[in-house]
Amino acid sequence: MGDTVSTILLFKDALFGALLIALACSVLGVYVVLRRIVFVGAALAQLSSAGIALGMFLNGLGIGGELTHHPVAMALIVTIAGAMFFGIGGGGRGGVPPDAVIGVTYAVAAAAGILLIAKAKSGEVHDIFLQGNILGITRVDTLILLAVAIPVLLVHAIFYKEFLFVSFDRETARTFGYNVRFWNLLLYFTLGVVIAYAMQFAGVMLVFNFLVLPAVTGLLLAQGMRGIFTVAIASALAAALFGFSLSVPFDLPSGPTIIAVSGAIALAAWGVRKATSSAS
Amino acid sequence: MTATSLVRFDHATLGYGRRVVLSDLSFEIPEGDFLGLVGPNGAGKTTILRAILGALRPLSGSVTLKAGLRFGYVPQRDSVDYGFPLKVVDVVLMGRYDRIGLGRRPSAADRDLAVQALAHVGIAHLAEQQLGSLSGGQKQRTLIARALVGDPNILVLDEPTNGMDLVSTTQILSLVRDLHERDKITVLMVSHALNEVANYVSRIALTMEGAFRIGTVDEIVNEPTLTAMYGIPVEVDEVHGHRIVVARRRPTGEMPRVNGESPRNGPHG
Repeated sequence: MGDTVSTILLFKDALFGALLIALACSVLGVYVVLRRIVFVGAALAQLSSAGIALGMFLNGLGIGGELTHHPVAMALIVTIAGAMFFGIGGGGRGGVPPDAVIGVTYAVAAAAGILLIAKAKSGEVHDIFLQGNILGITRVDTLILLAVAIPVLLVHAIFYKEFLFVSFDRETARTFGYNVRFWNLLLYFTLGVVIAYAMQFAGVMLVFNFLVLPAVTGLLLAQGMRGIFTVAIASALAAALFGFSLSVPFDLPSGPTIIAVSGAIALAAWGVRKATSSAS
Repeated sequence: MTATSLVRFDHATLGYGRRVVLSDLSFEIPEGDFLGLVGPNGAGKTTILRAILGALRPLSGSVTLKAGLRFGYVPQRDSVDYGFPLKVVDVVLMGRYDRIGLGRRPSAADRDLAVQALAHVGIAHLAEQQLGSLSGGQKQRTLIARALVGDPNILVLDEPTNGMDLVSTTQILSLVRDLHERDKITVLMVSHALNEVANYVSRIALTMEGAFRIGTVDEIVNEPTLTAMYGIPVEVDEVHGHRIVVARRRPTGEMPRVNGESPRNGPHG
């Protein structure tokens, strides 16, 4: 037990980073789930991985200088561009159903990421995009994640009622003089920023997990927006903490272990919901 | 614009891009009016509504609103996302958001006003219920309470009885009429159901495929006017003081035609 704790403490920066990603993604995930844009989250995560791959590919060719030297820069550009596209309703134009556009984005971005990595001179394995590399998070990475998460969470705390109103009833919000497009774009922008930064450490699967499962757990267990945010955050942090702690002694990949714990928590929440609804 | 006028259309032509939906509209909504905006789907009701709410600029002419005019807007029920886990009182509080200001939270006084608004529409006891658990009529009352809590000059209801049963429809229309008579609030009610609106409002604006007529209920709900507007023979009956508009029955197999034109949608849209 003591050895396990010591080993986990060796990776305390990684654990802290995972907790930050869990926190930021779970807050945004409440909007993602309630607004039924779950697959926008998946597509943005995949776009982010394609952005990283594009950065590595161009850097290998000596193109782009500083911009491609840091893969997250390309990931940010590509993901935010995608977020803005979906944010202005770009997925619903031209006679193609919005979910089909999201599907096309997901598929093309996934394939592009793999192809670009295959031809990148740095030659890293593409599995890292799916599974991430939580253990590789350093002190500097956690500080960067902190610098991203704090402003995003502050924006969402300060403008909670604005985000809620335009998400719940955009028509009435518009008659109140709200710039619905601006608030939508801001929501998608924060989503894009968080996904772009989280992706490079957590991978597509774990980011998608934190965007969806904690919010679903919140919906199952809580009533009211405050309750859902609270349960979503708590369950995401618990999944990150326990999943990470389990992965170290059992030598399991940390991302999938955290996802498995998230799934178990959501399943338990479903059981509790069923039990309480049949009892009442 | 007269002193009591809240909204004034002055030779306004409305449309989207190059497509004209309604042209040369001139009318006013005076303070204290109870106006029904009626017409079938696609006839331009929403276009007029958007122009009134300031979401659509006229292609030509003008739409003028009284300075400081505050709308109490009740959207179509389907435009609200009932998947959001919100308490009824929290939904009503949204009607105070523009007064509360950007980035600020509602105060206890705002909450009290929201509960009062719920009491005004007869559902104060539902304040702590989840919106999604309410019946259609209760949801509509919640949205009306939200419109009222902002202390509007004009209550604008978009298809308030759409998809409701007879009892709920009657209750909601009676509530709106009571609000108009008791609180002297100006009401604009948009609906495709002429029979429902005609028995509650004071004036009717009828729009049909580019045509537009406005007047008192007597001026609009009569056989010559409706027959000309709908393009089919229309009968106006009265049962227990209620006007009922019906398309006149024709022999089986005979297609209704007036003045050689093709039939338009009937009174029910």
